[in-house]
Amino acid sequence: MKAILTFASVLIMFVLVIPINAGGKGELQKHFSDVANKVKATENVVEKRAILENSFKVMSEALDKVQGSFLVSKEDQAGIDRLKSILKENQDELAGINGYERVPDSQLNNFSNYVVQNMAQADQTITISLIAALLIVIIIILVL
Amino acid sequence: MVLVALLSNCSPKMSVLEENKQTIYESLKTHYSIIFFIHGDSDYSYYDTSGNEYDADEETVKNAKKVAEQNPNAEVFIFHQRPKKHFLLFFPQRDGEFYYYRNGQLIANELYWRDQEKSDFNLEVALYHQFHVVNQNKLITMFLYFGHEIPEVGGAGYDESYPDRTFTIDDLASGMKNFTSDSTIFDLTILSTCFGGTPYTIGKLMPFTQTIIASPENLYLSYFDLHSLERLDLNLQDGDVPAFAKRFARQSFDKLASSIETTVSVVVYDVKRVQNFVNSVQKDYNQTLNSLKGLTQADLAAIEHCDCADIPAYRISTINDGVDVLYQPARFGRSKNKQSHSGWECWKY
Repeated sequence: MKAILTFASVLIMFVLVIPINAGGKGELQKHFSDVANKVKATENVVEKRAILENSFKVMSEALDKVQGSFLVSKEDQAGIDRLKSILKENQDELAGINGYERVPDSQLNNFSNYVVQNMAQADQTITISLIAALLIVIIIILVL
Repeated sequence: MVLVALLSNCSPKMSVLEENKQTIYESLKTHYSIIFFIHGDSDYSYYDTSGNEYDADEETVKNAKKVAEQNPNAEVFIFHQRPKKHFLLFFPQRDGEFYYYRNGQLIANELYWRDQEKSDFNLEVALYHQFHVVNQNKLITMFLYFGHEIPEVGGAGYDESYPDRTFTIDDLASGMKNFTSDSTIFDLTILSTCFGGTPYTIGKLMPFTQTIIASPENLYLSYFDLHSLERLDLNLQDGDVPAFAKRFARQSFDKLASSIETTVSVVVYDVKRVQNFVNSVQKDYNQTLNSLKGLTQADLAAIEHCDCADIPAYRISTINDGVDVLYQPARFGRSKNKQSHSGWECWKY
């Protein structure tokens, strides 16, 4: 069912969105901005951390799935690899592994802003097609 | 008939100011001439820390208009390079919008066709010469560019609407050259892009300007703050452009640093004084660029930048000459403990 839904969504997006040139990368940024808003909306630091961890996990899974899809080009694969490595750095820093100090509880709001801004800047140099970006967004929506 | 009317509405050529008012404003003295180039033909959306979405180019146009309206002694040219759009799917619409203000008043607002092939700014230069005030006194001139990182090699895909067209820093330099003459160059150039402070980029712009403000590292799309450019009759009363450039850089840096968690870097380059450094490292930098030329767009995107001071060949005695560096490291990430920057960015390759 999910596969049919995904396919139908891609088809609809392809027909409707591409001529409008809405830009799927903007949707990726929106995802991180929404996550940051959720983080800032709660006072509970355990919840803040869980929101961030979950968003990284979902995004990571979405990137894996899209990378395995026949719809993405070789150039997309390289772009997705870069997104994955940035995401991994963020995950590691949040958890305090691989040479990172764990992000202190008091700085989780700032860290959520950092993720939004860091992704937005990476977005400017990473080349991924509209199709790949939309696929990532659709998968995130289906998973959440 | 209706279609013709609609199509003609898509391409207005407006002389905005009434003739009598125009005479009044033309009687005011013009001391400053400012050119804004605002690239918008790509994904320029960004979010602030409250979750509000903005289009960087639209915001910059708004702020540039404010600068124009707040300057009773300036002429201001605004060129907004917009994405290609079609009316009713088939009829292409003009993809450039031009505004000309003089002495705080909007004099002209025209839609125009941007270059379809190589970006040499011919159309913009023609508009500039059509409206540019001819003044007995020397004007203080400024050139501002807002957009994504301008490629030093390759350059295909800079415009989303024209993916095959290339745009590089060499093209920007040629364009700037056409706005200047043998005897006059810009007093100040502001490059509001990511990775603008490289020896190559600064070297290319040097012949056409006396002072440059750029960001050697990433620059968030909220860009440099333009408030200092409002009321130049007060903010630049003494005509000391290098001192003004430092104040502009400080205000931009403070504003960015208060809301940005990633790296913030704003550098003022005194062109005469940085020349030695640029010339000394030119050979090494060009060698790196030559080796990058064979790479694909995706490969290029994967190559990181770094502080030139991290590369031994660039760590020479003149590296600090003529640069006024404002730097705040990212608050998170691998480079959060890097406490200073030379003001020069290189390729990690």
